[in-house]
Amino acid sequence: MEYGVVVFYSTSWALKAEKVAKEGGFEVKLIPTPRQISSDCGTALRFRWEDREALLDLLESKGVRIEGVHKI
Amino acid sequence: MPKVIDARGLSCPQPVVLARKAMAEADELTVIVDNPTARDNVSRMAQKEGFKVEVEERGEDIYLHLRREEKAETLPLRSAPSGPTVVFIPAYGVGRGPEELQEILIRGFLHTLNEVEPLPDTLIFINTGVKLTVEGSPVLEDLKALEEKGVGILICGTCLNYFGLTDKVAVGSVSNMYSIAEKLLGAGKIISL
Repeated sequence: MEYGVVVFYSTSWALKAEKVAKEGGFEVKLIPTPRQISSDCGTALRFRWEDREALLDLLESKGVRIEGVHKI
Repeated sequence: MPKVIDARGLSCPQPVVLARKAMAEADELTVIVDNPTARDNVSRMAQKEGFKVEVEERGEDIYLHLRREEKAETLPLRSAPSGPTVVFIPAYGVGRGPEELQEILIRGFLHTLNEVEPLPDTLIFINTGVKLTVEGSPVLEDLKALEEKGVGILICGTCLNYFGLTDKVAVGSVSNMYSIAEKLLGAGKIISL
């Protein structure tokens, strides 16, 4: 299974994103931002890479601000 | 002449990825970056891999001179305590503060235990911590993975009973205060959350 993570500007956006994604039926998990991505972006949302476009569309439509997306 | 990696203008994690690749092939190299985050991330990774890091700022650019240290020069291993490591989890969260934050932290911690070394020997869940081990818990997947790797998971039976969750346990084994006390007393190191 290939995964990606969405990183955020704040923890509250991460929580909001998790809620929105779960309500949208996505298989996601809040995890500490992987070390190789940054030391200080905090909490990230892991998702299945194949869901990338659909998930990002959903987050955007719900007004969730994201800092970036990385494949892990 | 050491190898030079130009990682200017690249966003994280590219500088770290490039540096790591080059470090596999060279004992001495210079990585050029252009921001403090890349400087810190590359430096930290290099130190962890046993490289000495010298930082040189040239205008906007930061030159990181990396040199692999001989084994004899590396710091002696800190004396590890003998005996098993036990993680004591007495709450549905880490520390004190907003409950939402406590929960993010415990979820993050238990996820990360699967990704770092060394593994603990035993996790003890007690008081509201037992709620992490029952059906519907957001960390079940992580706890199951730890259990598969041989980490013992002891859950306070009194606590499960108190919360009416005895038949909802989804990982680990239900335990009593005798076993819990013995694990704590026999531990080389106890990490209490």
